[in-house]
Amino acid sequence: MADADLDFTTGDAGASATYPMQCSALRKNGFVVLKGRPCKIVEMSTSKTGKHGHAKVHMVGIDIFSGKKYEDICPSTHNMDVPNIKRMDYQLIGIQDGYLSLLQDSGEVREDLKMPEGDLGKEIESKFDAGEEILVSVVKSSTIQMSVSIQTLIITVLSAMNEEAAVAIKAMAK
Amino acid sequence: MMAAVGAPEVISQLESAAKVLMAPPSMVSTEQRQHAEHIFLSFRKSKSPFAVCKHILETSKVDYVLFQAATAIMEAVVREWILLEKSSIESLRTFLLTYVLQRPNLQKYVREQILLAVAVIVKRGSLDKSINCKSIFHEVSQLISSGNPTVQTLACSILTALLSEFSSSNKTSNIGLSMEFHGSCKRIFQEDDLRQIFMLTVEVLQEFSRRENLNAQMSCVFQRYLALANQVLSWNFLPPNLGRHYIAMFEATQNVMLKPTESWRETLLDHRVMDLFFTVHRKIREDSDMAQDSLQCLAQLASMHGPVFPDENAQVTYLAHLVEGLLNMINGIEIEDSEAVGISNIISNLISTFPRSVLTALPNELFASFINCLTLLTCSFGRSAALEEVLDKDDMVYMEAYDKLLESWLTLVQEDEHFPRGCFVQPAVQVFNSYIQCHLAAPDGTRNLTANGVASHEEEEINELQEDDRELFSDQLASIGMLGRIAADHCIPLLTGLLEDRVTRLHGQLQRHQQHLMASADPGTVDRKVLDDLYEDIHWLILVSGYLLADDPQGETPLIPSEVMEYSIKHSTEVDINTTLQLLGSPGEKATSIPGCNRTDSVIRLLSAVLRTSEVESRATRASLTELLSPQMGKDIVWFLRRWAKTYLLVDEKLYGQISMPLSTAFGADTEGAQWIVGYLLEKVINNLSVWSSEPELANDTVELLVTLVEKRERANIVVQCENWWNLAKQFASRSPPLHMLSSTVQRTLMKALVLGGFAHMDSDTKQQYWAEVLHPLQQRFLNLINQENFAQICQEEAVKQEIVATLEALCGIAEATQIDNVSSLFSFLMDFLSSCIGLMEVYRNSPETVNLIIEVFVEVAHKQICYLGETKSMKLYEVCLTLLQVYSKNNLGRKRLDVAAEEDQYQDLLLIMELLTNLLSKEFIDFSDTDEVFRGQEQSSGAGRAVSAADVVLYGVNIVLPLMSQDLLKFPSLCNQYYKLITFICEIFPEKIPQLPEELFKSLMCSLELGMTSMSSEISQLCLEALSPLAEQCAKTQEKDTPLFIATRHFLKLVFDMLVLQKHNTEMTVAAGEALYTLVCLHQAEYSELVETLLSNQRDAVIYQRLADAFNSLTASSTPPTMDRKQKVAFLKSLEEFVANVGGLLCVK
Repeated sequence: MADADLDFTTGDAGASATYPMQCSALRKNGFVVLKGRPCKIVEMSTSKTGKHGHAKVHMVGIDIFSGKKYEDICPSTHNMDVPNIKRMDYQLIGIQDGYLSLLQDSGEVREDLKMPEGDLGKEIESKFDAGEEILVSVVKSSTIQMSVSIQTLIITVLSAMNEEAAVAIKAMAK
Repeated sequence: MMAAVGAPEVISQLESAAKVLMAPPSMVSTEQRQHAEHIFLSFRKSKSPFAVCKHILETSKVDYVLFQAATAIMEAVVREWILLEKSSIESLRTFLLTYVLQRPNLQKYVREQILLAVAVIVKRGSLDKSINCKSIFHEVSQLISSGNPTVQTLACSILTALLSEFSSSNKTSNIGLSMEFHGSCKRIFQEDDLRQIFMLTVEVLQEFSRRENLNAQMSCVFQRYLALANQVLSWNFLPPNLGRHYIAMFEATQNVMLKPTESWRETLLDHRVMDLFFTVHRKIREDSDMAQDSLQCLAQLASMHGPVFPDENAQVTYLAHLVEGLLNMINGIEIEDSEAVGISNIISNLISTFPRSVLTALPNELFASFINCLTLLTCSFGRSAALEEVLDKDDMVYMEAYDKLLESWLTLVQEDEHFPRGCFVQPAVQVFNSYIQCHLAAPDGTRNLTANGVASHEEEEINELQEDDRELFSDQLASIGMLGRIAADHCIPLLTGLLEDRVTRLHGQLQRHQQHLMASADPGTVDRKVLDDLYEDIHWLILVSGYLLADDPQGETPLIPSEVMEYSIKHSTEVDINTTLQLLGSPGEKATSIPGCNRTDSVIRLLSAVLRTSEVESRATRASLTELLSPQMGKDIVWFLRRWAKTYLLVDEKLYGQISMPLSTAFGADTEGAQWIVGYLLEKVINNLSVWSSEPELANDTVELLVTLVEKRERANIVVQCENWWNLAKQFASRSPPLHMLSSTVQRTLMKALVLGGFAHMDSDTKQQYWAEVLHPLQQRFLNLINQENFAQICQEEAVKQEIVATLEALCGIAEATQIDNVSSLFSFLMDFLSSCIGLMEVYRNSPETVNLIIEVFVEVAHKQICYLGETKSMKLYEVCLTLLQVYSKNNLGRKRLDVAAEEDQYQDLLLIMELLTNLLSKEFIDFSDTDEVFRGQEQSSGAGRAVSAADVVLYGVNIVLPLMSQDLLKFPSLCNQYYKLITFICEIFPEKIPQLPEELFKSLMCSLELGMTSMSSEISQLCLEALSPLAEQCAKTQEKDTPLFIATRHFLKLVFDMLVLQKHNTEMTVAAGEALYTLVCLHQAEYSELVETLLSNQRDAVIYQRLADAFNSLTASSTPPTMDRKQKVAFLKSLEEFVANVGGLLCVK
């Protein structure tokens, strides 16, 4: 009974950056593109103009990479872009020249992710030096590249690949 | 401390402290301020401060110090009452009164405080036979007769102070007196002193009302006495023999009705008293402040009932006089805005207080004029209320008055069989017409017209929190609906005509727009004003029709209102059934175009007018005019249809004495009409769900209509015969547009409806096929997805996550559909999922919203099903919940939550876990299962002993939750309440499990109890106290000493002892604390004696020592040796009350 148009096996190839969704079908904690940025929706409410008006949706989103807040209001029939967000877990096996060495499930190692800056980076480094096992979640929103969320079951960390900044994405962790 | 230094030093110390307290915040430091406060606090607690206080009052010039001196006297008198000579109390009272009399220029707050002290002394003395405080009334009446306004004002202040001291119960704990003491004082007071106060007041009012013109000062005095009269008439008369608990409840009631004791008969049945208040009102009605008081006095007189009336005749005479006075007052005046609420209170009080038999015994003419006056008043207030709405006034006085009057109408007509037949029809027509008129646009109505006929039309932003009119105005609509039934002959055709007319106009208007849109591509030119006016008209017409035709009782089968049934029967001879059915069955045609449409049943025609509205709406959506439609109107339509369907669809003849032929022919069981309408409604639902997916509220109302159609087996039987139903099921199962665009709550409810429909009557093949369409795809899709090899890699993809979320939502919907007759199959179905869900907990451990949803599935299943489950099934559920908790615990171990200051909803998971545990516990007190009766035949009884019990699961869960519940989290009210509900439940239900808890857990549980008892709200404190008795009983049962629980209870003994004996506590808690104390005392008798000994040994004063020792002796006298026996416990509680009243205040002395 599985649907033909629901294909979960396809890899990255051909996956579009975004797909449309009716505004009213969006939900809090889901993702949406606001002002061209992939955002996690943190607030959603509806209103109408006049008793016989149509519903409008008011959204507040937090950019999953920059942490910046964006807002939008639009008719609830409107189709919004939803970013294709992917998230992978890797094991951290080394740190070299400010880059992370990450072990994939397939056994391959990727080394293209920069160490996050700030406290988060320091925390990762000290934990790694202390010999703790660290899991790193990599978040990817198609064109807007990678970012990392790390879990030693303790902390959440993010970094961006193309965009140089590595930032903690609180929005993801919530 | 104070006694040691001389009075002048004390004064200067207090005066400089007062200076600090009065200084602007920038001038003094916090420490200085605290120090100053401390000085006053300890001054007030000092022993026998009377001489110093007198000295202060006589010499100090600082008002604040005077105020504190008065307070100190008041507190000390109560504290040391039993130690003081009666004569010195008496002279103290005289001193205070004289002091105030001699100083007319005292600051108001100082004067009031001194008078309060006098009142407290009088009150404390009123139960003490050795002291006589009655002379105060003599003194006051002398003051009044002085004729000096200042002195008269002072007299009024004294009386007011006495009144509030004796009346209100929240003063009680302030002076450490028990409710019973308070009650006794009040009873004595209300018999005699209160009446004396009233008489004095009436005299003053009489005197004033005779004067031609009052100067400002006089009028001020007048106002104060009027307010005092109001206070007396609003007195909450305490009936004799009311228990302590009831007193507290009784005192809490607002809007007190006047129910004086018999001794007031002579005073209040004297017509001159009532006349006086009418006269007074006439005199001062232009002064809005005073008018409130005078009208309130009249309203209180209108609520008079009880033993004050010797018989019904007396009531009739009294009421007749009241109504005459009222009519005289209202007729011939133009009512001021400030009078509206007061007048409506008088009417509403008299209608709800006087029995029907008394109302009908009024002279006919008088009764008729009263009803006539009420009618005019209601219509006039209604119009003014509408004006207030247009002007968007903050203070809606007419709306309030209108609500009151409509409520009174409801009271009147609900028992109209007592009144002459038909006497309310004409008034009902008038009130109904005026309501409709106010809600329709011009020219038929006056909506949005200001007083001078200017239309205002503003589009305001409305947010989702604003209530819909059908709830916001539900009381008004219920009254209007009821009046519409009374005058059904007029109102039903009126509504039908208006609605049919609006629908025709709407249809035309939409057609014009369509042509217009086809001609020019610019949709911006559409003028919505005409459309919006039509929508608003239709909105109100449908709301009124819905309330007129049907009620919406919660939890019982709604019946067709008898008035509507009678109306339909009365006209059934003139009705042509076939034309009626034709009219019903052709919603696409104009009603008036059907030949013979005037010979149709009017009740059916009103329904079909709504169906016509619905049809215009549906056609517009098909013509792509959805943009022009009103979602509000869409909501009104499905709301109406739902309300109507509950009552009329498949009308059960057995429930009625007589039934209307047209109604039973059109909607009865096994009729074509019923089948047709079910099909029509279903089509409407399906159309709405696809067209209106963007309107959450409308989609919600629509899906609720669907639930109504299937929640009753008889209706569901017809529904499942419709092809549309099957299409809907298939479409939903395939999770394709447009249904998957609906909000999650709507999808959940849709799932619930689809499951409910599956329990309709079908042959077994069909049934199997149905489940294959509805539930199996859900399972199949889910299994296909999670069994994919690469599920671990793709599980975080949004599309996959959405699929999972949709499944979880559907599971919640399925659980919601649980009923006693389907629980066995639903339980088995859901159980298969629950274990997979636990796997998902692992997968989505980083996605809190998904984790929450998974837990929610468990919460729903436990909530809806556990009460029906037998032992074996319950155990299965316990087991799977236990596993869930284990996984949850593992994933949360060591997890740091970001942003401790974050919002409450971040702790949703904790809240849900606690909810789950509470739901599991609920099995212990709500259990409908009959040892697996609903599952019989499916399984052999397993016979094996219980593997997992509710207690195990719950305690395991508490083990997880407890360490996570930090003090910070307890600041969130929802978490705090749920947490304490859970832990006190556990103590009450499984006290035997508590001693077996792991040490750490046990400790934190005890800490939580202590924390809850000592530093949370009184509600939680009470919960914790209630948890103590079962714990102590548990200890007594096992008789093991030195167990951790035994030691903990010893600690609690001290806590509860301190709480009851040493601290000021909320009197409401005395019972809970007392019960806890008693069981704890039983358990730890030696420690209790020790506590008492220590307390006594700290007393230096021999008198106090003796008094305390006696009090402790009599406290336990009736229960020595204390045993856990109910009778003894009750005796103990009784003595405890006396104990607290006697020495409670004494022990608070520092």
